[in-house]
Order: sequence, then C-alpha cells, then structure tokens
Amino acid sequence: MRMFVLAAAAVLALTGVAAAQTRLGSEGAYPPYNFIDEAGNLAGFDIDVGNEICERAGLECVWVVNEWDTIIPNLLAGNYDAILAGMSDTEERRKTITFSQTYFPPDPSAYVALAGKTFDFANLSGQRIGAQGATIQAAHLEATYKDTNTLLTYETPDQALADLNAGNIDLILADKSYLQEAVAGSSGTLALTGDEVEIGGGVAAGLRQADTELQAKFDAALTAMKADGALDAMISAYFPEREGGPFFLPE
Amino acid sequence: MLDLLPPWLRDGIGDDVAFWIGYLTNGKHLAWYASLQFTLFAAVFGGLIALLLGLGAAALRNSGPLPLRLLATGYINIVRGVPDVLFFIFFPLAFEQGIEWLVSTQVCTRETLALNAGQWPPCDAANWRLTSPEYLVLACVSLGIVYGAFAANVVSGALRSVPLGQLEAARAYGMSRAQVLWRVHIRQMWVYALPGLSNVWLLLIKATSLLSLLQILDFVSWAQRLGAANFSRSAGLVHPDWRWQYYLVLLLFYILLTWLSEKAFAAISRRVRRGMPLVGQEAM
Amino acid sequence: MSFLETLLAEIEILAVPALYNIYFAAAAIPVGFVFAIFLALGKGSPNWLINRLSRGYIYFFRGSPFFIQLFAFYALMLSFNLSTWKPLGIDWLVLHPLFLGPAILALNTTAYTAEILHGALTTVPRGEVEAARAYGMSWGQRFRRIVWPHLIRIAWPAYTNEVVFLFHATALVYFTLPVIGTQQDLMNKAGQMFQRDYNVFLHYSVAALYFLVISLAIFWVFGLIYARLMRHMPGARPMQFSFKRLFR
Repeated sequence: MRMFVLAAAAVLALTGVAAAQTRLGSEGAYPPYNFIDEAGNLAGFDIDVGNEICERAGLECVWVVNEWDTIIPNLLAGNYDAILAGMSDTEERRKTITFSQTYFPPDPSAYVALAGKTFDFANLSGQRIGAQGATIQAAHLEATYKDTNTLLTYETPDQALADLNAGNIDLILADKSYLQEAVAGSSGTLALTGDEVEIGGGVAAGLRQADTELQAKFDAALTAMKADGALDAMISAYFPEREGGPFFLPE
Repeated sequence: MLDLLPPWLRDGIGDDVAFWIGYLTNGKHLAWYASLQFTLFAAVFGGLIALLLGLGAAALRNSGPLPLRLLATGYINIVRGVPDVLFFIFFPLAFEQGIEWLVSTQVCTRETLALNAGQWPPCDAANWRLTSPEYLVLACVSLGIVYGAFAANVVSGALRSVPLGQLEAARAYGMSRAQVLWRVHIRQMWVYALPGLSNVWLLLIKATSLLSLLQILDFVSWAQRLGAANFSRSAGLVHPDWRWQYYLVLLLFYILLTWLSEKAFAAISRRVRRGMPLVGQEAM
Repeated sequence: MSFLETLLAEIEILAVPALYNIYFAAAAIPVGFVFAIFLALGKGSPNWLINRLSRGYIYFFRGSPFFIQLFAFYALMLSFNLSTWKPLGIDWLVLHPLFLGPAILALNTTAYTAEILHGALTTVPRGEVEAARAYGMSWGQRFRRIVWPHLIRIAWPAYTNEVVFLFHATALVYFTLPVIGTQQDLMNKAGQMFQRDYNVFLHYSVAALYFLVISLAIFWVFGLIYARLMRHMPGARPMQFSFKRLFR
C-alpha cells in the first residue's frame, strides 16, 4: 500500500513538471468562438483571447480540445486549468466552478428556424425544439416550453443544426452570435426568428474554485486588455454583426 | 500538397479533381489520417494487455489457490456481464479518483481540505492531471481489462482441452508443476485457443471506436468533426451535412481491418497446426 | 444520508432509465430473430445472388462497430428526411429514437443471429432430411419438422449470448441519437448525474449493476426455454452460463 502511494506520488511529481504549463480547454466546434481551421489547428475568438491572456500574464499555455458535455468534469479533474469555450457565467455553473472577468458582453440567445417559418412564441405548442445538452439554453427550454412542446438535446451544436436543416426539428435555441454565423453561411436557408432571450451572464473563462492564483492572473490580464482596447478589437474582428460597441473600452 | 507535383501533372488534372485532392489533403484531413495512430496504438497495446491478463486469469482460475481462483472467476464473469462502453468510461475515471484519494491521504492538510470543501479532488495537491497521452494509456488498460476477461475465458477452455496424457507424460519425465505449465500446457494450448482469441481480437478492434468517448481525438472524432456541416468560412470549406459519407469511410475502414485480421489469424492458425493432424475442432 | 440510503435512492433513480434499455432490446430481438432466419437460409442458398447478398450483409454488420453503425444510419436517415419521410408523413416515426434505436439494433442483431443460425443449419444431419423427403414431405414440412427443431437446439446457447450482448449494445444508443425530454437510458442518466457531482463510483456502479442483473435474468429465462427444448433428451445438461459473443 505504502509503495503504491509512493508510486502514485511519483506519477504526480512527474506530471507536476508538465504542470508548469497552463492548459486551456476548448471545444473546437462553436464558430466563431472556437473551431478547427483548415490547417487542423484550434482557432477562433476564445483562442485569441486565451493566447493574449497568457502572453500578458507571462504564462506558457497549451490548448486541449475537449467535447462540450464533459468540459466541466474534465476541468475539475484537472485535465486543463481553464475553459475558454464561449461559456456563459451562470449561477448554476458557479456551484461547481468559478469564472474570470467576462471577456464578451452577455450574448443573448436566439431562435433559428428554416427561413420563412413563423412561430407564435407566446403560445408555442406542438413544436420540436432543439438545444445542445448541458447548456443554459437547454435549461431555459426545460423551464419555459416543456409541457406543450417536444424538447431534444444534442451532444454537439452542429448535430442540432443538421437536424434543423433536415427538418427533424423546428427551432433551435442557442447563443445568438453562433447562430448568426450559421445563418450567414447557410445561403438563405436558415433565419433567426422571434425575440432574443436574455439568459446567462457574459462569456468568461471557467476556472477551478480553488485556483484563486490563476483567477487573479486572468483578471489582471483581462483588465489590461479591456483598458487598451485589445479586447474590443478582437470582438470587432470576430463578431462584425455585433452592435453596441465599445464593449469594454472605457468611455 | 498539389504544389509538390510536377507542373505537367498538375496541369493534366482537371480543376474539379484538383479541388478535391486539395480538400482531402488540407491540414484537417491530414490530422484525421494521422489520428489513425491512436486507434492502432490502442488496438495493439490493448490487445497485448488483454492477452497477458487473459493468460494470468485463466491460469489462476484453473489451478490457483481458492481465493485467487474465486477472484479470477469473479473478474471473468463480472467484467463480461456489463457493457464494454460502461467499463470503458468507468475505469479511467475510477482509477484517476482512486489514485487521487490515495495521494490525498498523504499530502492534504486540514487547511487545503477545507479549501476544497468536500469537492473532488479533496485538495489541490492531490490532483492528478490527466492529459491525452495518459488517457490513451488508460484506454489501453481498459480495453485490456475488458477483453482480458473474454480472453481468459477462451484460454481457460483451451487449457482444459489439452489432453491430460500430455501433462501426465511431462510429470512422469520429472518436470515441476511450473515446467509442465509453461513448457507443455501453455505451448499446446495455443492451437485450441487461437480461434477464440481471434474472435476476441475482432471484438477489441471494433471497441477501439469508443476512444473518442475518452476525449482522445481519434479517427472517429475527426471524421465526426469533418463531416459536420460547416457554416463558417474561417473554418474552411463551407459545406452541408456530409456526415454519413464520412461514417461510411469509417465503416469500410473497420471492415478492412477485421478482414485483414481474419486473414492474419488464419495464417497463424495454419502455422501453429503444422504437424498436428488430429486437432480439428475449434475450442470456444 | 447513509451509504445504504444513497444506494437505494440511486437504484430508484435508475429504474426508469433501465426500462429504456430493456425496451430497446425487447423491440429489436424478435424482429432481428425473424429476419435472421431468412438471412441464414439465404447464406445457405445455392442461388449465387442470394448467397452473395446474404454473406455481404452479414460481413458488413459483423465487421464494423455498432457505435459507428448508429452514427452512420442516423445521419443517413436524416438526409432522406425532407425528400422522403416528410412527404410520406412518417418523419415523426422514422427519426424517433425509440423507433430508430431498435431498428438499427435489429439490423445489427440480424447479422449476428443469422451467422449463428447458419452455423447450426450446417449441422442438420443429411440423412434425416433425405428420409423426410423420401416420405414425400414438402420443403415447408421438412423445414418445420426436421430442420428447425434440430437447428434451434443447436443454436440456442449461442443465441442466448447474442441476446445478452445485444442488450449490452443498447448502452450505446443515446451516445448518438438525440434525447427527447427525459427519455434517457442508463448510460445517459448516469452520465448526466456524473456531470453534476463527479461521483463516478456511485452512478456507474449502479448502472453496471442493472446491466449485470438484467443479463443474468436473460440467461435464466433463456435457460428455462433451453431446458424445455431439450426435455425429450434423457440426461441433457442444463445450459452453461457464459458471456461470449461469437464472431465466427
């Protein structure tokens, strides 16, 4: 038993050498926040923000691609030290993890449907509505439309979009900026519909609650990026359709 | 990729073909092809671990002391009684948490324990940071444990199929128990075990498709990402849902792999049976 | 809460999800069994085309992972939705996980079962069939009275294993198909609870317990049927319980 504990401690010590790096987790399937580009590399808004934070905080960072449905458990398990994946800061998530300052203003959620279809959102019934599982949108649908509509949850957001395009569901509720990208690239087959839904806080980096040191570094770097306009420049570059800037630049 | 071709060949290829060659050799697709290494690594090392565990558990079940015999029997039957995917997800997580718990009993102080307030891991110092290579190793071990139980069942049947006379003759020559086991029993066992082991190997190959569930960017998860509809120009070619085409490639890949394995096992089987005309029945 | 109370609460929570796994298996098995009889006869058929098609089907489904088959068939069915299922008005059924899940399971188990039945078919003694023919029995009579009783007794133990492994394969369904409302199976529910409290031992162990107990129940029921099938054989041994999935 004692030997085993020593061996386990040795393993920890070995991986501890690698822990000098800060590991950042992202999904890589949520453009423009994060996606895999043609060259096969992780790219997107989250990735640029993360790299900038690391540079300013003097951290050596590496990226880890992780599926959305296990992204929080694997942060807790320590497979990476921060989540930058277009994740909204919510009360529900704050029960298990903590967040840095927000690096994207609250992104409203929106509905998308096949172009030309209209819905009566006040008395929505008999519709098939999709969302990615374990998201604030799935929780919102559960609380709002569960009784009179059919709710479907998917492992990834592109599965939901595939089902919408194929007519298997009528509506998807997701982050507006993600849907805008999909609508823009759909050559007119998809359209946003209905009112925006204000749920969730701004997008922030998810961190382990005990990791206060890293949180302080992230917050300091983000404060600096907001002050000199670097963050606003990134938002304008990745979200040209987002109105209402400046976002973080002091007036 | 196309730039590497000589100009006369490049001009000979039509624009359409050139486009598809370019698409299928972009960085994303090259990463997909390269991810084959994880699938093959898991199959080979998972298979080796399964074989070793299978031999060990079978030897214990057939002739170990009673507690070990019960342990081996329990392992063989319980692991085969639950779906491989469940064990595949459960084992790496359970192993990680087990190690973390053991370490936490040594390194955590009252203050660090209080800081994490009953959450997992108990304290930050006991956190074992798993990365993809470690997940791959754990995946191999999981495959090994699951299919080791299947292999053990095959091997223990094969050990019982070896004619008793052979073992008695070896004892009569004055060999020790260990010598009989290693020099006669296990050597002769292979002939009877091969068909069954071939079967286990084919099951294991197909189970490597589950690697993506352990956050390994393997052949399957890259195909999923490539086939998914792409709306974003910055992520490469904008295209609709192409998933079933990519999945078809995966299916054909696995069929090719099982076909090659069957051929290889048939060849090995023929070789092992040289000079043993009496062995006709398959032991399963 | 004491350990026992936690355990009992977990068993209660996972009871309904377990019904989904049982449903998937129960819906797929009879369909697969009937199809497999025809496919096994096809594999034994002297007709070149039928023979090749049957062999090809069996090789395709047994040579590739069920996990990928699920993904491929769901994506394939989806791509026919607007052109075919919608106009026919059956899209609500065809793409429903509670239909499509058992359907893909049935396609898969048909191949495995056909291989087992075909193996048993080759052991039917020629002499018995020829004698029946000499008595003037038709093809249908020969199949029902001579071939089938022999075949099913030979195939039953291996088929029992196939049923257990088909039940295990139901664990993969919701890794692929969308989850409608709270229609979750054991793996999906256990995974969801794991994501909340990170307690891998409790959730997955109880799910494993359900799989183990139901597997044993399948062995027991199929063992009773086997005993009935063999009741005319003096000194017939009861079926041995052993989990194996035959590939060849």
